[in-house]
Amino acid sequence: MVSPSTSEAKRVSAGAPDAFGLLGLEPCYAIDADTLEKAFFERAKQLHPDRFAQAPVAERVAALSKSRALNDAYQLLKKPAPRAEYLLARYGIVIGDNERIDPALIMELLEEREELAEARHAGKLVLVEKLQASMKARRKAAFERIGVLFAAGERGENLAAIKAQLILLRYVERYLEECDSALDED
Amino acid sequence: MLMQIAEPGQSTTKEACKQRVVGIDLGTTNSLVAYVADSSPAVIEGEDGALLPSVVHYAKDGVVLVGKAAEAMALEFPRETLTSVKRLIGRGLTDLASIRGMLPYELEGDDRAVTVRIEGRSISPVEVSAEVLRELKKRAEASLGGPIEGAVITVPAYFDDAQRQATRDAGRLAGLEVMRLLAEPTAAAVAYGLDRGAAGKYAVYDLGGGTFDISILKLVDGVFEVKATGGDSALGGDDLDRAIASGITNGAVEIAPRGLVAQTLREARRVKHALTDAETVEFYLNVASPAHVRAEVIGGSPGVTIVHELITANADRMHTICGEVIASAVGKLNSDATTCVRCIGAAGVFARTITRADLAGFAAPLLERTAKACRRVLKDAELEKTELDGVILVGGSTRSPVVRSFVEGLFGKPPLSDLDPEQVVALGAAVQADVLAGGQHNVTLLDVIPLSLGVEMMGGVVEKLIHRNTTIPAGATQTFTTYADNQTGFDIHVVQGERETVDTCRSLARFTLRGLPPLIAGMLRIEITFLIDADGLLKVMAKELTTGMSAEVEVKPSYGLSDEEVERMLIESFDHAEDDLAKRNLVVERVEANRILQATRGAFESDAKLFEDPEVGVDVRTAGEAAMKSLEIAVAGEDHLAIRHGIEALDLATKPFAQARMNRAITAGFQGVSLDDAEKKIGR
Repeated sequence: MVSPSTSEAKRVSAGAPDAFGLLGLEPCYAIDADTLEKAFFERAKQLHPDRFAQAPVAERVAALSKSRALNDAYQLLKKPAPRAEYLLARYGIVIGDNERIDPALIMELLEEREELAEARHAGKLVLVEKLQASMKARRKAAFERIGVLFAAGERGENLAAIKAQLILLRYVERYLEECDSALDED
Repeated sequence: MLMQIAEPGQSTTKEACKQRVVGIDLGTTNSLVAYVADSSPAVIEGEDGALLPSVVHYAKDGVVLVGKAAEAMALEFPRETLTSVKRLIGRGLTDLASIRGMLPYELEGDDRAVTVRIEGRSISPVEVSAEVLRELKKRAEASLGGPIEGAVITVPAYFDDAQRQATRDAGRLAGLEVMRLLAEPTAAAVAYGLDRGAAGKYAVYDLGGGTFDISILKLVDGVFEVKATGGDSALGGDDLDRAIASGITNGAVEIAPRGLVAQTLREARRVKHALTDAETVEFYLNVASPAHVRAEVIGGSPGVTIVHELITANADRMHTICGEVIASAVGKLNSDATTCVRCIGAAGVFARTITRADLAGFAAPLLERTAKACRRVLKDAELEKTELDGVILVGGSTRSPVVRSFVEGLFGKPPLSDLDPEQVVALGAAVQADVLAGGQHNVTLLDVIPLSLGVEMMGGVVEKLIHRNTTIPAGATQTFTTYADNQTGFDIHVVQGERETVDTCRSLARFTLRGLPPLIAGMLRIEITFLIDADGLLKVMAKELTTGMSAEVEVKPSYGLSDEEVERMLIESFDHAEDDLAKRNLVVERVEANRILQATRGAFESDAKLFEDPEVGVDVRTAGEAAMKSLEIAVAGEDHLAIRHGIEALDLATKPFAQARMNRAITAGFQGVSLDDAEKKIGR
């Protein structure tokens, strides 16, 4: 009965039912950013409403909605975290806004946040930068881990481990946002 | 793709009767028009060169002068000669409060639109801009030998919908078919991409007469993708002039009479331009009339009098005049009031030698504001400045060596200005006009929305559906649910801005989905869809998924949103990012906790007999009540994590009870009772 998140909006995997397909690509996590961009640019050139400025209304409307779907698909796939979430969603694995996280890890993250807050209040910007760099390294490692897991096969235990990494990444992103705002203060 | 599109190079019929379309840069200080001749764009020159000063003079006899001729009247007729109207277009009086006092002419109007009072009539900035556009149209028609069939007019990337709409109206008023409004930095990138073969990642630093835009674009094989855009829409050469005037006069100009302000600003601008070539320049004012005196009470310690003197040459005379004004100002106050009076006067000659270093000092706070916007946009684009292939300078203000060396320092590389920074926008606009008319250029522009769009959630937090810097056209769908039991209406409040709470964002529209079936909280599924078209206009639709009930509304995303608001909201969102997140988390958790407390309490009461079930037991009740108490304490506090933990603890403590209720509901369902009735039976 007590079900968190009912008062929260639930993210519906954004519009595109087949984001990879719209870009003419096979679903894959380890996609090269240049390949993705190239596929997007090629299709964007064909579909952009500017190309239909002289076309009949029906064609303009069709181009607009295709162009929109294409932009949405690219937006969804170009960053690794939403891309991984999108791939998981195909298996019915959705990451909610209040996912449980290993209590030991929570403690660790809270301590790290505290350390950052202290550094910030003491105005130790060099320390903040150091913490930021180490958290960025952690982010990088998490994405690498996700890449390895996807490559190992999209199976139950791998997918669960990917989900855990993605939940962790949300905390990492918040931490990094805090670093930015601390460094932005001066 | 089976649609019939004229492939580049195949449009032979179109080539034969090529449309006469132009690109127009309608600037704060200067405007110009360009045209694609054979394959490359060129500026169309007028009698006095390419730049047409964006100045319109309304003479007493009804004659309207535009450009250089109007500019020549500015000294003699400051109130009838309109400059910098781009700062007024699509704006309301409150938007302009900060610059109103520094304008040589009188403003009227309301919060939605201003007009200028001239010789007993009210003239809208749209009409004034239309005069400038008409002049450019005339120039283009004379040069191209026939009527102009279409125009792309450029606007600052940060211009809101009202400002864009007003610009479009000015085009129509001038008899132009406005094919598209194009962001100025994007237009500049197009010109560089074609003319210089620029490819890769570029920052466009566009400091014009009244606006600052910074955009980061990726240029690849005819595609111009805006990665991120930002700016400061009330910052430009005009503000630099003001900073110089204020700096030189030690702040006195800020409270000077109107005529003296105009004279001082003009001299500041002259000095600024002269410092482009010279290392030192003399700032020189000769004020003939000693009547330029004003004093104002500004508060302070009792009995203190401050006299600000702009001009010291005729000090005795000044003191006499100021003394009288001060005496009358002080006389109006009660004896116990604080009486600090500032007095500004001018008579005779005021001369100061100004160096480039002085100019850099005056400009520093303004340039620092541009730097802040640049850092933010780089972050949005997820780029380090070292990854940029180049920095493009746009706008007359970037001619100044002070600005150039600042930009070089900021990005760590010498900026590009091989295309004239005052012409490059018009050249790019001409290319886009040609593309829209079916021309040969292989150009695709992927632009973005400058500010996030979202809806208000319970507790006043904002759920963003479309984030700023999303490529347009765009769309997003998200599902929401009801907060209260038996809620039959669902309010949808559409907002724009970067902050996390609704009171700090701009309200765009409200509408209600009515007649929903009365169900318990969390049962309904309301799907909200945002659609943005290629012109950046927003449409919102809502649909209840179980009943199919729907409503929709067209929203002009930033109608009436002032530049200062855009700017303020962005700056605040960055300054308060952490505050906001904590505040948001706290609000969300509190709402959730209260909902759960209420539901649990209700269920404990109505289903008390379930505790007699051996699977549940009275211990669950004791534990549940204890957990509720701790949660209540957490809700009263400020720590969102404590509330979250409290919710989880309560969830855990009441699990057997919830399980028993669920089992019963399911049993009821199998017996052919609707879930709704089952819920009622189990006491919801």
